[in-house]
Amino acid sequence: MNRLWRMLEPYSGFILDGFLLTLLACICAIIGAVCIGAAIASLRTSQNRVARGVAFAYADIFRNVPFIVQLFFFFYGLPELGIYIGAFETGVIALSFSGGAFVSDVIRSGILSIDQGIIEAAKVSGLSRYKIFTKIVLPIAMRTSVRPIGSVLINLILTSSILSTITLNELTGSAKIVASTTFRPFEVYAMLLVLYASLTYALSAAISAVHRRLNRSMEIGA
Amino acid sequence: MRYSDFTPYDLILLLNGLGVSLGLFLATTIIGVFLAVMFTLVSYYRIPVLTQVVVALTEMLKNSPVLVQLFLVFFGAPAFFHVNMTPVAAATLTISLNTAAFAYVIMRSAIASVDVEQIAAAEVFGHSRWQILTLIISPQAAAFAIGPLVGLMINQLQVTSLISVIGVMDLTKIGNILNLRTLQPFIVWTAIGALYYVTAKILASVGGRVEKNLRRSVVWGGI
Amino acid sequence: MILIENVEKTFGTAKVLRNINLQVKPGEVLTILGSSGSGKSTLIRCLNGLEKLTDGKITVDGHDVSTRQGLAAARKRSATVFQLFNLYPHKTVLQNITLAPVEVLKHDKRAAEARAQELLELVGLGDFAAAWPQSLSGGQRQRVGICRALAMEPSYLLLDEVTSSLDPEMTGEVLDILAELAKAGTTMIFVTHEVEFARQISDRIVFLEQGELLVDMDVETFFAADGGMAVPRIAQFLSRMKKDGVQ
Repeated sequence: MNRLWRMLEPYSGFILDGFLLTLLACICAIIGAVCIGAAIASLRTSQNRVARGVAFAYADIFRNVPFIVQLFFFFYGLPELGIYIGAFETGVIALSFSGGAFVSDVIRSGILSIDQGIIEAAKVSGLSRYKIFTKIVLPIAMRTSVRPIGSVLINLILTSSILSTITLNELTGSAKIVASTTFRPFEVYAMLLVLYASLTYALSAAISAVHRRLNRSMEIGA
Repeated sequence: MRYSDFTPYDLILLLNGLGVSLGLFLATTIIGVFLAVMFTLVSYYRIPVLTQVVVALTEMLKNSPVLVQLFLVFFGAPAFFHVNMTPVAAATLTISLNTAAFAYVIMRSAIASVDVEQIAAAEVFGHSRWQILTLIISPQAAAFAIGPLVGLMINQLQVTSLISVIGVMDLTKIGNILNLRTLQPFIVWTAIGALYYVTAKILASVGGRVEKNLRRSVVWGGI
Repeated sequence: MILIENVEKTFGTAKVLRNINLQVKPGEVLTILGSSGSGKSTLIRCLNGLEKLTDGKITVDGHDVSTRQGLAAARKRSATVFQLFNLYPHKTVLQNITLAPVEVLKHDKRAAEARAQELLELVGLGDFAAAWPQSLSGGQRQRVGICRALAMEPSYLLLDEVTSSLDPEMTGEVLDILAELAKAGTTMIFVTHEVEFARQISDRIVFLEQGELLVDMDVETFFAADGGMAVPRIAQFLSRMKKDGVQ
């Protein structure tokens, strides 16, 4: 064990940089995914049939096409449209669109499970449809969606490893370089596995804590 | 390579890639489900040591990226264990284990959903653990599990696309080749995406029909 | 003035309201009585726009509730208290009460909060402004619901079986408040099972039977032997209410 650490220690800074890049990409992506997901969910539950259809198609496509294909689509396709952005930005965009599809499902169930009586009370008090959605429906749906969105975030962290295929030196990309430099791929990748697993465990605990905090008002003796 | 347009031969390339993807998908699904059943039996009989190993292994597999698992097996195993590993072998081994981990969780929770009082009643009648498993738990658990298992399979179909990274000539790898040659990313990746999409939809509808048949044959008298 | 003219409401194949004609004058306290399924709640839900009319017209101070602007204007003039309270679970008691005045009537937030606190004192919940709805009893939640309705300074207060989900003790505390409101001259339309309460505070009683308006009388006439009681269906209804001890 000691020998392993001594061998990898000079690269720990490099791995740490990769780790931070993964973290940054995932934070940006989950924010993007939640924004996209909320927007799509509101379209999915709207009265307009076209809006519902478009939103359904979006979620359906992004859920049934592999992420790496989506990523290559953006990475190779965007320059064709004249959009020249770096690998990091492309990765975040792809993760946001993919995550957004899953988040939209979560928020949609949250919206559909709201007690109809509460919506009725809001309607008769004269609130506009827009106000009802932003002040009543969305806040309640988000509070019940914390746990499932958390698991989308965890999935996002695991999926982010695929960003290494578009030359981004996030955690997996950095590990690949270390593995080939040290000629010890087994040790490096095994350690990487443990690192990712620890990250997801820590995140699960954090999400449970956030869920409890946000819902403390809604769970007392309801 | 010269940059060129699409040729009719490209359709054959695509079908080849699709065939490799599907072949690997089916193989890993069968092996994975079989392994999951083994894991489930180990937990059901609470075999010491082995149960803990199964739990640790499946947790690790579920909570780490499939790409890293692929690298570990394809690059790491030959270096550490001094074995030869072809891309296809590594891909099959990794994805099978990955599928097994998730299928194991689904099966375990399906078994847990079977009313515990039925099991108690069966024990009181003197049935062995094995009889209880095969006669009482399995039929009902299978009906519970089939839905999530179909969902898992659709997900694992997407996961197979990662084997292109370690060099297997699957549908995604063909996409890479075509993309580099024709420089038409929109056409190429939309076509690849569409092929995966259609396959997933076919899988979903077949799975749905199997689920309906299974549910119909397990007659619950509403007790 | 609320005008209900030739109103019909059909759900699928079932006709729930037939040819209802009714007027509610400002300051009146009107009670709608009837057995379950008679259409009482549906009628109130047509008044605040939660149900659309199949036929007929309802106007609130001249505004037709079947048009979008008319309904918006009508909803500004009326407020509803619900049987199941329907408080917003993600907002405190105070926020529940101030939400609509701030967002719909565009009141200043500080002024709305002060008014909300006054209303809470009125119903005996002055210390509960920062509480969450889930921590309150049913009677307390309904009192908050009443405050929420009153905060809109409505011309018409619609009360849809507001004590049907409460036990007798909580029912009493809510009815006391409603009695005071009635005495103060608020226009109220009740749907209720509480016959004795209706007798004490109503000006007029209306009886619905299978979607039809059987009688529309002032309260003394309704309970008089030669008035409402002369109608066999009503006499039967009242005696059953008495027998079940719902007094």
